[in-house]
Order: sequence, then C-alpha cells, then structure tokens
Amino acid sequence: MSFPSWTLLSQSVLSGVFAGALYGLLGLGLGLSWGLLRTINLAHFAFAFLSAYICYQLAAVSHVDPLLTLVGIVPLMFALGAGLHWLTDRFRLTPFSSLLLTFGCMGIVESLMQTLWTADPRKLESHYAEMKFRLGPLYLPIPEVLTLLLAVAITVAVWAVLRFTDLGKALRASAEDAPVAAAFGINQRRNGFLLAGTCSAIAGIAGVCLALSSSISPSQMYAWVGVVFAAVMLGGLGSALGPLVAGIVIGVSEAVTMAVTSPSWAPLVSFTLLILILLLRPGRIR
Amino acid sequence: MNARRVPAGIVAAGLLMGALPFLKLPAFYESFLYLALFWIVLATSWNILSGYAGYFSFGHGAFFGAGVYTSATLAAKFNWPFLWTLPMAALVAAAIGVGVGAVVFRVRGVRGEVFALLTLAVTFVLATIVGNTPIDGGPGVYLNAVPVPKLGPSPTSSLYLMMLAAAVVTLLASWAIRHSRFGAGLFAIHDDEDAAEVMGVPTYRWKLAALAVSCALAGLAGGIHALFISYVTTAETFNLTVPLTVVLMSILGGTRHWAGPAIGAVAITCLLFAFTGGEYAVLGKGVIGLILVIGILFMPEGVMGKLRRKGIGSLSEGAARPHLHPHPNPLPQAGEGVRQPASEVLLRVNGLSKSFRGLKALSNVSLEVRKGEILGLLGPNGSGKSTFINVVSGHYLPNGGEVWLDGRNIAGLPAHEIARAGIARTYQIPRPFAQMSVLDNVAVAAMYAGRGLPSLDAGRREAMQWLEFTHLAGKAQSLPGELNLHQRKFLELARALASRPKLVLLDEVLCGLTPTEIQSAVEQIRRIRDQGTTIVFVEHVMDAVMALTDRLVVFDQGSMLAEGAPRDVMQSPAVMSAYLGVAHA
Amino acid sequence: MLELQQLTVAYGEARAVWDVSLQVAKGELLCVVGPNGAGKTTLVNTVAGILKPMAGRIVMDGHDISLLAPHKFCEAGIALVPEGRRLFTGMTVAENLDIGSYLPAAKARRRETLDEVLALFPALKAKLPAPAGELSGGQQQMVAIGRALMAGPRLLLLDEPSLGLSPLVVVDMFNAIRKISASGITIVLVEQNVSMAMRVSHRACVLELGRIVAEGSPDELMKRPEIRQAYLGV
Repeated sequence: MSFPSWTLLSQSVLSGVFAGALYGLLGLGLGLSWGLLRTINLAHFAFAFLSAYICYQLAAVSHVDPLLTLVGIVPLMFALGAGLHWLTDRFRLTPFSSLLLTFGCMGIVESLMQTLWTADPRKLESHYAEMKFRLGPLYLPIPEVLTLLLAVAITVAVWAVLRFTDLGKALRASAEDAPVAAAFGINQRRNGFLLAGTCSAIAGIAGVCLALSSSISPSQMYAWVGVVFAAVMLGGLGSALGPLVAGIVIGVSEAVTMAVTSPSWAPLVSFTLLILILLLRPGRIR
Repeated sequence: MNARRVPAGIVAAGLLMGALPFLKLPAFYESFLYLALFWIVLATSWNILSGYAGYFSFGHGAFFGAGVYTSATLAAKFNWPFLWTLPMAALVAAAIGVGVGAVVFRVRGVRGEVFALLTLAVTFVLATIVGNTPIDGGPGVYLNAVPVPKLGPSPTSSLYLMMLAAAVVTLLASWAIRHSRFGAGLFAIHDDEDAAEVMGVPTYRWKLAALAVSCALAGLAGGIHALFISYVTTAETFNLTVPLTVVLMSILGGTRHWAGPAIGAVAITCLLFAFTGGEYAVLGKGVIGLILVIGILFMPEGVMGKLRRKGIGSLSEGAARPHLHPHPNPLPQAGEGVRQPASEVLLRVNGLSKSFRGLKALSNVSLEVRKGEILGLLGPNGSGKSTFINVVSGHYLPNGGEVWLDGRNIAGLPAHEIARAGIARTYQIPRPFAQMSVLDNVAVAAMYAGRGLPSLDAGRREAMQWLEFTHLAGKAQSLPGELNLHQRKFLELARALASRPKLVLLDEVLCGLTPTEIQSAVEQIRRIRDQGTTIVFVEHVMDAVMALTDRLVVFDQGSMLAEGAPRDVMQSPAVMSAYLGVAHA
Repeated sequence: MLELQQLTVAYGEARAVWDVSLQVAKGELLCVVGPNGAGKTTLVNTVAGILKPMAGRIVMDGHDISLLAPHKFCEAGIALVPEGRRLFTGMTVAENLDIGSYLPAAKARRRETLDEVLALFPALKAKLPAPAGELSGGQQQMVAIGRALMAGPRLLLLDEPSLGLSPLVVVDMFNAIRKISASGITIVLVEQNVSMAMRVSHRACVLELGRIVAEGSPDELMKRPEIRQAYLGV
C-alpha cells in the first residue's frame, strides 16, 4: 500500500468527482420519487440503461450525434415514467411493493436489452470520447465534464423549482400532508404524473451520459444500485441537492480508496456508508 | 386433525425421493431435482424470517455465501472431511446473521424497506471482505480436489442426497415453526410489531431466533452447493440472483404458508429449465420479471394465499375446531367471583411524567387503582388520558415516576414484560393482527401475556373460551377485516382478557358504537368486573361512565384535576369549568 | 350559503356522523359544540372535502358539491383550518401561506391578501421566513388561520382552534375570529371550549354521538340541559 503521488491523487479525486456526478444524476430522480411520491423506483436504473442503449444504437449505428438523441429519449422516458406511476397509483402500492414491482421491471428490461443488443459490452465511439481538456498535469475528458455540467445544471434547476415555484411548494406540501394539501386545491394526481415523468426523463439524460463515458452491458445495471442508493440516502430523500453532493462525496472516497489500496476495496466505502446511515438515521427514510 | 400427518408426509416423500439415484435416472434429472431442492431450501429458509415475521431481507445471499465460503475454505484449504464442514457452514452463517441482527433489531426505525436495503448492503460488504482477504483473495476457491462423501452411486447423487436431507430438515422446520407458539409470535410481529410487544411477545429475541434459523439453513445449502459447483467465486456467490430469486419464489408461492416458498421454488425452477435451451435463455430473466410484476399487482398473497381464500389449503393451516374436552381452567361464571371490597390497592402510580418534544403530556400524576373496581379516566381532548394508558402499558417510556404493581416497579420495563406482569389494554382504534384469524388473535394474547400458555393448542383452547364469553365464537375462523366495528371492539376485549390479567386498561372502547351496541358493551364490561378483573376505563360516553364506574379521575392538561365518586366529581366546579368554561360554572 | 342535508359519514368502520342537517346563512358564525368523539372533526373534514359522505348532500351556494374530488372543494370557496393546525412543518411560514393561495384566483390576489392577514396577525410578519415547525402553538394557529384566509374563502371552517393553547392566547385568537366574521366571511366553528365559542357565535348547535341534539342562539342553548348532559352526563 504505497502512497500515490499528488498528481495521481488529484486525478483520482477528479475522476471521483466525475463518477459522483453520475451517481448524483442517477440518484436525483430516484430520491425525488421516493421522497415525494413514496415510490421506490428501481426501474429508474432500467430507464437509464435503456436510454444508454438507444443512444448507442442511434449514434453508433445511425450516426446521429449522441447529444441529439436526447430530443427523442427525454419525451420517451417521460412517457414511460408517467406510465409506471399510473400503475403504482392505480394499484395503490406501498413503497415496499413498488420496490418489488420495479425490480421485476428491471428484469424485463434487462431481458429486452439482452435480446436486442446481446450481453456483450458496447462502447459508443463518439468524437466526444476522444476530446479532453488539460489542466496542468490533469486530464479532463469531455464526456465526463459534460456529465458533471449536466448534473449540476439539472440539480440546480430542480432545486430552484422545488424551492421557489408554486409547483415545487405544492409537491413538498403533498408529500408532507396529502389530505390537507388537497384541501387547498392541490391536484395530486396530476402533479404525481408530472413528477414521475420528470424523474424518468432525468434518468434518460443520465443514461446518455453513461453511454458517452463508459461501456455498457445489461448486467451492469445492478452494479449501480447499491452506490446510487447510498448517495440518495446520504443526501436525503426528496432533496434535490443532496444526492449530487453525496454522490460526489462517495465517488471521491471510492476513488481515493482505490488509489491508496486497491480497486476491489472500493465497494466497501459506499456500502458501509449506507449501512451506517440506515442504522443511525432510519427516521430520515420514512 | 392432520397434526402428525404432515411431518410424516414430508419424511416419507424424502425417503421416496432418496431412492431415486438408485434407479439409474439420467444425470439431467438429478441436476434438475438438485436445483429444485436447492431453491426449496433457500426460499423456505428465507421465508422463516421474512415471510413469517415480515422482515423482508435482501441479504439472503450473504448468509448463503457465508456457508459457501466456510465449506470451501475448510474443505479445500484445511482438508476437513466434507460432511464436517456442513454444520460449520450453518453455524458461521447463523453467527453472522445473529451478529448483524443483534445490532440492527435494536434500532426501532429499521423495518420494511430500510431493513431490506440494509441487508442488501451487508451482502456487498461481506463480498468485498471475502474477496480481498485470504479467504478468497480474488482467484476463487477450487474444490475439485475435495473428495465427495460416498452417499450415493455417483458424486452428483451424493450431493443430491445431501441437498435432499437439507430440504427435508428445512421443510420440517418451516412446518413446525408455523404451528408453534413461536410461529404465532412471528406472525403477530408481522402484522403489528408494537401491538405484539405490548401483548407479551419478546420481539427482539424472536426476530433473532428466526434470523438464526433462516441463516443456518441458508448456510447449510451454501456449504453443499460449494461442492456441487466445485469452483467458487465472490462474483457468482454474492450477486443479486440468490436474494431476488428467493423473494420471487416465496411471493409467488405465498409467504404465510409453510410450503408456499417450496411451491414457488419448484414452479420457477421448472420455468427456468424450460428456458435454458438456446436462444430463449435470455428471455428467462424477463419472464421472471414479468411474473413478479403480475404477482405484485394481482396476487400479492401468492398462490397459497389465493387458494386459502377459496377454502382450499386448510390442510396445513391446523385451524380446525379446537377439541371440546373440558377446559382445565374454566372461566368463573357471572356472579361467581366474589366482588372484593374496593380497598386493596392493585396499582400505585407515583409522580408519573411524560413529555413529547417539550410538550408535557403527563405532569407528575399520582393515583391508585384498587382491586376489583372500575376506575374511570376522564378529561378533555389532550388532557393526557391516552398517554397515561400508553405509559402504564409500556407503549411509551415514562420520563419520570414509578408504577407499582404487586410490589414491583414496572415503569420503564419493556412492554412485553409489563404484559407478562398482568396488565392488558385495548386500543381506541382496534389493532387486531389483520392477517391472523380471530381465534389466533386471541390465542397470541393467551400464550404470551400474563403467565402465558406454552403451546399453540393450549392458546387456542383458552382463546375459544374467551370468544364464547364475548359472543364471537361463531367468527373464530374469520379475519378481523370481516368483522364490523362492534365485533372488532369485542375482539379487542377478548384479547385483553385472554391472558387473565390483573388489570385491564380500556381506551375509549365505546367510541363509534350505536346506542344499542353501547348497551351490550356496558353489559360485557360489567361481567368482566364481576369476574374479579380490575378495570381502568377511559371514555367519553357519559351515560356509560356514570353507570359503570366506581370512582372517577379527571385529567386536565396532563395532571389530575379531581378524584372521587362519579357524581361528586362531575359536579365539582373545577371539573365543570374545565369542560364548559368558567362562565357556566 | 351552506346546507348539509342528512349527512352521514363513516370514519373507518365507525358511523361518526348520523343524518345531520344544517344550514348556515351567509355572513353567519355557526358554532358546533360537543364532547370528544361526538363527530365534530369528522363533520368539518367532510365539508372540507377530506372525507366522503356515505349518504346525504353538501350544498354550497346552491351547488351540490358532495361528490367532487377533494381538491375541488377549495375552488368552491371553502377553506379549512384543521384540528391540530396541520401546518406543513418542513416549510416556512411564508411558504405555508403561499400554499393557501395556490389556486389561480387566490394567487392573483396574493399580495393584497397577505397584507390583510398580516394586519390581522402582526406577530407573523417577523416570522415569515421561519420554518413553521419552530413556532409556538399560538403562532402556529395564527399561521393556520392565515393559510386558510389566503385562499380568499367565502366559507371558513375552524376546527378546535383553542386546542392546546394557553388561556391568554385563546382570548387573542377569538378576537381575531370575531374580526374575520365582521369582515363578512361565513364561519363554521367547531369547539370544545364552550364558553368562548358561545361568546363569538351568532348561532350554535350541539353534536352528541354524531347527531344534533340541540340548535339555537347561544343564550338559549346555555340555559338548556342538553349541553350539561352531553359534556358532564348530569
């Protein structure tokens, strides 16, 4: 266990930040659904990966600019998210049942992806992937920078909506005391669909970022579940800024652990953090 | 009743299936059967904690993996004879489980999805530790050099026979627990853990016990499986397949039935086998996902749950009519119990206080409850009456003061010990165990509260008596949801009485009833008192209060305002002003 | 303005309100008294749209609103001050008041209505940015009433506003209620504190075990035995 050089350490921290940004982006929608809609939506990961594959397909095969695929992906994911919400709403699922149901959805989508694109990892070779900035001795790959920028932009936008707009206040009020919120005219059904669709649309954007920055395979979906949940719980359910900050904290901790010890110890960081949060503050989750 | 038939049946089936390897079947069948048995063990063992007690664990893979690696390490690296590694595998898995549980179950908020995610995290932590230490270290562990015990004509047969034995043990355990006092306690925890605790079920210990059994069996399956696959890696062992598949199998088959998970296991294994060939393999996971989705939406109780609704499947419910031979301890008839002169003190409360986040709900309350009396507790909204009951029964911990029952200070004791000391209560909004029959609801109280009865049969017999007393005998097999409010209140009463408590706390038992129903309830309460039970009675229905109570205590803003004979108290100026405002007095 | 026709409401399994018929004229302050468990809160919550009646009708200004979706009741001109305040404690006082004026018509008048509310409860001005959960009981009650007023209602439902408040604060509260009534808003006031409630109301009725057992002007009712019977059993 040799202590790495400053350059290596700084590069690790940087890549931790980038990884964390993606955790945060993936976690944003998950946390909002859980906190404001009382739905634990594992299908979130399925939506993200599906978007990644669609982006790959359009970009690698049909030669569409990857960022342009967002035009189609965002509305599609919005519709899928709203549709899933309709299901959980219609059948009055508890948070736990929604966890199981969306887990099933994950399996369905995984099969679909595997049928269409096989289990082999796919890498999107776009011109973005080649570009990188140099900041002194540090490398800043464009796809990762893009992810960070999008993550920050979307997070801040969501935070602003929740904090300052009437819609945001209505969502927060409904989450806290639904019957009283309704007594003041807040249409929870309509707001629910809007929120669910938006969360999935954000997942779609995360998926495109994913496709740009790494290779994807269907079974990889599950690898992200643990670390993103840790980010969401650390950051707080229903919070906009929380998952991003927490994601970056986790990403950097993991990266530093990897640099100082060995990569295989990395999962210990996020999962131990998750366990500690669950034990020390289970009340935050309810 | 088929009490003895089921375990005999399981053993017989086991013996029959044990003969199969000697029939020289193609290896394919042995593999298929092995796999089915493997999943039967895993799913059924998972169900013991998660299905019965309701603590859905996503970490079954961790304990399974612990078993895998224990056997692999002991057999391959320390050259233990393989069969000896199996009990160790079970032990290590159980130890890890109990270690985790001891910490996790202490934290009150850890239930439902929090517990699920926590156990999932434990799996990955364990995987990382195993993968980074000499236990595995990365390359995995090879067991090809480990000699397979010669139990059958071939190595595969021997492993098959080992897993068969494990399956028989697991199914017997599942059945036995389901039909025991322990199992009834687990089901009570499942439906309403706090009410179960207040009724005398030692929830912390019971959950640990269920977890220990569940983990031990998973570890056993893991140990055997290590030799079956003969090359063990962390990626294959600790991935999400095990935890999620067992959840699916149990939900599909029905988590409340001892054989539900086994049925689900067999069904899914068949399905998976149907898809293993060729290009359909990929669809396998998708189909399973689809089944889970449909299951959650339309069949949340599983196959066995649906069958039970239709009246089938009572074979292992064991819910037949209890034997009607004379009860060893019959109830005193109405009027038989001599009414004690109300002078001896049963309960003495000294300076009891309780605050909630700065709000003083109870302020230094001192009062006495005398044996054999009906004491009424009155007061406006928010005066502290319900808090008083909650503190005395152990639902809340007091911030100060003592509660003396029979020379023992019970304040601050865990609720289940207070129940064992002889205090019972009803809830203002009835809280029956929603998925247990009316009979079993009362049986739980009979088994755990007061002195407690040692077996499920004894509990049911006692419960039947009390159901007759409260005119609910005809509804013994119904679910609480099928009763109307009046009947549910009487169920609450039966539950409170079944343990033959010294003191019964009735919390607004008449609220919501029609005048006729109130009459009937008042009769019932009189009969209870006539049997010698002391009653403390919180109520707002003034007619009933005046008619029933021997003494009245009025609360206001957390302290006692007045105490004495009913008419005197209600006509005192202080009480009148508290209720009606100064102008009226 | 408001008419309840043979309203029957079940709360869970329990019949909480039986066959209640009431009329409230425009600008009137009707007070509903009764002991605990009488069904007062159930009645108010039904009129606010939170609970659905099992039988009977709620007629507001001639329109039958009984079967409307919960969020439509506010549009019909009804605002609720719930029992126990039920503020959105995670949000600031200002945000709570904003929720009150969520509907478009109320939102358009938000500035003016806020000025009116602050004129009524000057103590709230300094507390606008504070999280609602950190206020004292009396202040929270002011916010709850303010929130309802922000909706610009024609009918205000007040459910036990004096609950848990110290006597001095209760006096201030009822003064404010008097002022609100004087401004022309129709009020239905549910209270356990009979004396204070009777002092501000134009008419009153007594609810016991879900039924109305007496109705009339406050002075008349105080002389009759039904109130004593209902509350004290003597």
